[in-house]
Amino acid sequence: MPAKTTIAAKTTKTAIITAENVHKKYRLGRNNFVHALRGVNLEIDEGEFVAFMGPSGSGKSTLLHVLGCLDNIDEGTISINGSNVTHMSGSQLTKLRASQLGFVFQGYNLISVLTALENVSLAVEYASKISRKDRVKMSREALEKVGLGDRAKHKSSELSGGEQQRVAIARALVNNPRIILADEPTGNLDSQTSEEIMAMMRELNKRTGQTFVIVTHDPDVGKECDRIIRIKEPPTSIMSPEARKNRGVQPGSVEGATSISPG
Amino acid sequence: MRAIRNIFRRKLRSALTIFGISIGVFALIVMGAMAEKINLLVDGGLKYYGDKVSVSDKMSGNLNIQPLSIKKIDEINEVDGVKAAFPNVFMMLDPDQTVALGTPKMIVAGDPEADKYESFKANTIEGRLIEKGDRGVAVVGSDLVKDLKAEVGKDIKVHNKKFKVVGLLEKTLTAPDSCVMLSLEDAQELFAKSLPPAIRQSVKPKDLVTSIVVYPEKGVDPEKLAKRINKEVKDVNASGPESFKKMTKQATMIFNFIMFGIGAISLLVGGLSVMNTMIMSISERTREIGIKKAIGASFARIMREFISEAALIGALGGLIGIGIGSLVIAAANSGTAQKGVVLFLLTPRLEIGALIFAMFLGVIAGLYPAWRAARMKPVEALRYE
Repeated sequence: MPAKTTIAAKTTKTAIITAENVHKKYRLGRNNFVHALRGVNLEIDEGEFVAFMGPSGSGKSTLLHVLGCLDNIDEGTISINGSNVTHMSGSQLTKLRASQLGFVFQGYNLISVLTALENVSLAVEYASKISRKDRVKMSREALEKVGLGDRAKHKSSELSGGEQQRVAIARALVNNPRIILADEPTGNLDSQTSEEIMAMMRELNKRTGQTFVIVTHDPDVGKECDRIIRIKEPPTSIMSPEARKNRGVQPGSVEGATSISPG
Repeated sequence: MRAIRNIFRRKLRSALTIFGISIGVFALIVMGAMAEKINLLVDGGLKYYGDKVSVSDKMSGNLNIQPLSIKKIDEINEVDGVKAAFPNVFMMLDPDQTVALGTPKMIVAGDPEADKYESFKANTIEGRLIEKGDRGVAVVGSDLVKDLKAEVGKDIKVHNKKFKVVGLLEKTLTAPDSCVMLSLEDAQELFAKSLPPAIRQSVKPKDLVTSIVVYPEKGVDPEKLAKRINKEVKDVNASGPESFKKMTKQATMIFNFIMFGIGAISLLVGGLSVMNTMIMSISERTREIGIKKAIGASFARIMREFISEAALIGALGGLIGIGIGSLVIAAANSGTAQKGVVLFLLTPRLEIGALIFAMFLGVIAGLYPAWRAARMKPVEALRYE
């Protein structure tokens, strides 16, 4: 049985994200699964600034994806802001993502043919039926918040990495979601830009009380956070001994649960 | 518009697809314009034959006109339900003509008295129509003006006889455009001359007609009246509007079949190429779809985005096809106008129809690719490189 660790809420604050006994398996072939999440239990409080840290392939991105309702789970329960999302339909999840969650990705994931402003306003368009004028206004404000007010008309391909990530943050912020999920937000940036981006997110967290969940393997990033949730062992895939050998997995090793410890 | 920008991300590919649809729509427009012209002719004929009975000799065929005795008029007038009957002479303007593209060139003559009963009114743009007692004069249909070098006041030659032009007919786009109208007496003489010598000697020209037009009394069904005439008058063939309908139905059916065939082929080719383009652009944009879904784009939203792109490809192809088609039709019409023939009629309903058809095609072809895009799982689409 995989080990399970449960971290209870540290304070009396209300939990905005809870996961109970969450399992996620990926199918690689017919009889070949990766058991990426093995009974994860966690709670994240409203307004927390949390990092998920762990080695590559430990399942930290997978965890972020399932918490962000981008992927379904095989077992367990996930609640976002008090509502159980486990059995929600695709369109309910879409609405939830649009209104309550903001995403920031490692590769920025902007739409290259659109300008910074258009990228941000797309998120507003998807989330609500707001007039074009108000959409532009909201998007401009979001861009100003991340210090890119003067770059609004530039296409994302004309922006530097740091600038693109700021646009992505503006896009994640624009609908005022309660939770912002960031997958290696500084992974493609140099150390100075990383610091700037982290400082900015920290600042936003303090100012707006939005909850930030950041996946990272950079200890410097982790230091900035209130709490580090460590995801220790890489998941073991259930596969042939041959394949395991090729991947450098010890023949006997089937341990490798996702465990969590306070930072 | 975002859809336009998306289409022109891959300029050459989109242009080729649009061009493919253009060709289909072009074919549709050209064939359609030909069909429209024929429809108009048929409609004109249906209108003309709609309220009357046409009587000809039993042996008479479409292009094989047999003489009929004018005395039959008296017999027809005896039939119950006949309001009036008048003699007509219809004959080929060009005796050697056997097949005609569009309507054949005809010599037409009737009794001016019949105009009182006739619902079809011929109008002149210059001069006047044939009047009672006229001899040696002609009124020329619009398509024949150039051909015969007709001018009011000048002479033209019809069957090697000189006639003075007294009027030019207004263009109707129907049968009268290719007619020369003569007085009944002149036409009877020409007709008599065209008969084989053996028959010619035994008859008087003024007893000869080619058909008799019969106007029914008010409330009398022309179809039933035609049946009664066939029963009561010997050696004639009376036909009501139905027979004209039946005759034209066959001809238009072939045309409609060709139209349908071209429509189906362009549907297939154009639709497949739109589908191909959309599938390619969706697989190129998988990651983008993932991003959009992650930030909250709904299924319907993604569907709409891609379907509107496909519809736009269809519409652009349609517009270009209609444009090229219109140019070619205008060129072809001005080419054949020299000979007084108009082969194509480009109507607004055809243009609008073709455009809607092209857009519809785009939408249909875009449905499947759009559905594929819309149902992608965000995390899988995001992972896609």
